Amino acid sequence: MPEPVRHPSSYRDPSGFIFQVEGIYYRQINQSYAADYSLLMGSGLYDTLVKKGLLIAHQELPGHPPISANADQRYKTLLPAQLSTISYPYEWGFEQLRDAALLTLEIMNEAILHGMILKDATPFNIQFEEGKPVFIDTLSFEKYDPSLPWIAYRQFCECFLFPLYLEHYCGMEQRKIQTAWPDGISASLTARLLPWKTRLSFGTLLHVHLQNKVSGKDERKVVFSRQKLLNILQHLESIIRGLHTSAANLSTWNNYYQATILSQSYLHEKEKLFRDYLDGLVFHTALDLGANDGYFSQILSERKDAFILAVDADTICIDRLYRTVREKQIRNILPLCIGILHPSPAIGFRNRERASFHDRVQTELVVALAVLHHLVLNGNIPLHDIAGYMAELTARLLVIEFVPLVDLKAQELIRHRSSHHPYDTHSFEQHFQEYFSIEKKSVVPGTERVLYLMRKKIASP
Amino acid sequence: MIGRLLLYIDPGSGSYLIQMIIAAVLGAAFFFRNLWWKFRSLFSKKKAPPSKKR
Repeated sequence: MPEPVRHPSSYRDPSGFIFQVEGIYYRQINQSYAADYSLLMGSGLYDTLVKKGLLIAHQELPGHPPISANADQRYKTLLPAQLSTISYPYEWGFEQLRDAALLTLEIMNEAILHGMILKDATPFNIQFEEGKPVFIDTLSFEKYDPSLPWIAYRQFCECFLFPLYLEHYCGMEQRKIQTAWPDGISASLTARLLPWKTRLSFGTLLHVHLQNKVSGKDERKVVFSRQKLLNILQHLESIIRGLHTSAANLSTWNNYYQATILSQSYLHEKEKLFRDYLDGLVFHTALDLGANDGYFSQILSERKDAFILAVDADTICIDRLYRTVREKQIRNILPLCIGILHPSPAIGFRNRERASFHDRVQTELVVALAVLHHLVLNGNIPLHDIAGYMAELTARLLVIEFVPLVDLKAQELIRHRSSHHPYDTHSFEQHFQEYFSIEKKSVVPGTERVLYLMRKKIASP
Repeated sequence: MIGRLLLYIDPGSGSYLIQMIIAAVLGAAFFFRNLWWKFRSLFSKKKAPPSKKR
């Protein structure tokens, strides 16, 4: 049997850890967490949270489950429900972080009712599964002592509330704050960045400016109660529900399909071809690069047994798609803010804690519609390199749109450029045929744009 | 910032005092709000809003 491998991000909490055997993830619970785990299961909290879809479900593995290297500390081994993919808060739009924050507060309220509390509050404990956030850290719960305030309050503020405030008031994208401060942004920095008027608002005055003033002060005499904590949680919830992304963030792309030369008929013709291409294809995972508002991701999602990762560099587009996914209850699309030119790097301890986007993507089909001209003409990436990159991303299939230089959108990109890498149909086909064979090729009627269906060549041994 | 980096601080440190202050402020605010609703309900047929909506 292959050796169990501890997940590189699962080292902080001495209560247990995640490990992997043959591609299946397990969770070891250490003896030090035995009492809290019994309370979680015995109090009814686990059942309530799982029933509401707030917490990841698991089953206990009796008998002889896979054993990790630290078996001497083992109390139990769990098999949690396996996730479709892993995403990080620096890849989420504003609304995804807001929903993750509200989920944390809802779980806190439920936990308190059952005599427990969350001992940490980080967005890394949350993943998006079936179109909505779910809490994945079964070991975050501990026995509640009503005489004490919430130990994770500051962490909640730094990881959820402050990034949301900064996007709401300053237009700073929360995901960029998460990228720069993956462990949370401090109250002192947040207080300096927020506009002066926030001193006049009850929520920001208390949770940011006052917190900044009193941090580090003597706090030996603590007097607290359950009602006080519930009041704070309710206050946080009402603040967070009222936050929204700044209107200043209205982006270049968020009305791409509505307000451009790209008319409804173009969209209609492209959709017809796209559906025709998909018709004979078998796939269970797809990556929509430059998904915009997810029009084509939604077509892909009609395959109910397929999981669609929809990525775009634009937060507003991703927020819009996320809203659609929630409203229409689309369970198989995960929208993420990822740009092809700057995908998420590997970060954390030993650069292994949080994997790079590239290392997490496993897909059978890549869809790249009206993306190529941006990569070549804006990003200055040679066609040959893009072909190689697409071949790395997809295991088998590629649907790609070629927008020629004569297209108005391509012309806009080269208007102020003196030179660019070769970009024409012949070079495109030549470079891509090094990695792919072209199965279908059609001009989108009424335009000069060409849609291709390609299949990856199997590398010769 | 540098002070924060040099010291090891547990996640709750520095947040207990602010929570006590916030709880006190919210407690007072909720008390006066409830008082106001009770006062208003004396002169109105409408019931006070449910306590959930704060």
